[in-house]
Amino acid sequence: MQKRKRAEVEENITPNLIPMIDIMFLLLLFFMLGADMSQRQLEELVLPQATQVKEDDNKVEAGAKSNLTINIHHAPDGNAPCAVYTNGGICREAGHWKWAIRGHDYTKDTLKDQLQIEAQLDMETTKDPQANKILSARRVLIRADGAASYGDIQKVIEYCGLVGIYKVEVAAAKPAPDKKG
Amino acid sequence: MAGGGDQADNPVAINVVPMVDVIFCLCVFFMCSFKFKQLEGKFDSWLPKNKGDKGTPVEIQEIRVAMFWDVEKQKVRRQFGTRVVDEDLQLESLIKSAHDDFKAMNKPDAPVIIDGDPRVPWKDVIDVVNICKKLSIDNIEFALGAMDK
Repeated sequence: MQKRKRAEVEENITPNLIPMIDIMFLLLLFFMLGADMSQRQLEELVLPQATQVKEDDNKVEAGAKSNLTINIHHAPDGNAPCAVYTNGGICREAGHWKWAIRGHDYTKDTLKDQLQIEAQLDMETTKDPQANKILSARRVLIRADGAASYGDIQKVIEYCGLVGIYKVEVAAAKPAPDKKG
Repeated sequence: MAGGGDQADNPVAINVVPMVDVIFCLCVFFMCSFKFKQLEGKFDSWLPKNKGDKGTPVEIQEIRVAMFWDVEKQKVRRQFGTRVVDEDLQLESLIKSAHDDFKAMNKPDAPVIIDGDPRVPWKDVIDVVNICKKLSIDNIEFALGAMDK
């Protein structure tokens, strides 16, 4: 019988990693640039939709402090699932709704104090003739879930008024354009 | 970008495996935290400077949309004057005609007051705001409940 010859030269089967690294770098670059860190102060919630809403340009007036965003979102304690909210219903459990500023939750009592502090950070320079006092120049954006109770938003507006913040805005989502049209 | 070339030519071989591991981890992190931005906007709703915190009586010169929460039906009931209005289009035409009446009376700045039950969902309030904005009414006011003492 004829013996088979063993291959004299061992084949180098080390994969070339360079193209993979190139692609990985590109992917990394894409995701790093795509991750908008300014969104971190926005809680995940379902905004009410409105066709007439004007686009938020996130512009801050020269010399002014950044806009303050108050999120009113559904977050049951311990992240326990809420059947009513999950099924698109109107949850009216008071403990399931949170008021958050920069990721920190506040109660009705603590929110007023926090708003007082925020208002003091950016006061107008002159006394307002209508209000007969110095008001705050701070802008407040109320981002409330569509299912949140109007009473919660009323409370935030009331507190803003009490601490001298009058530049209040409410957030809404622009509906996605109709693809049929 | 990283270049190619024959590995045998390179006397200093760099072990790239740890780097690939790190890039993988970074990629996974950014992929998981990536989310598409929702198109968001806002309505300016600046508060009146000289009223609201003292409960001053106001002369009724406004268009008022009352909103009640029907607990049994889990639904909002909107009322314009004494009329119950379910349809958006109907409410739009009622607000428009009332606004036109105020304009004819030389009071084009008469506000639309949204007077809602605290249990009313926010999205229904925004619907009314949206109708007002559609009619180019900028003077919209939110009626507040009793203040905390």
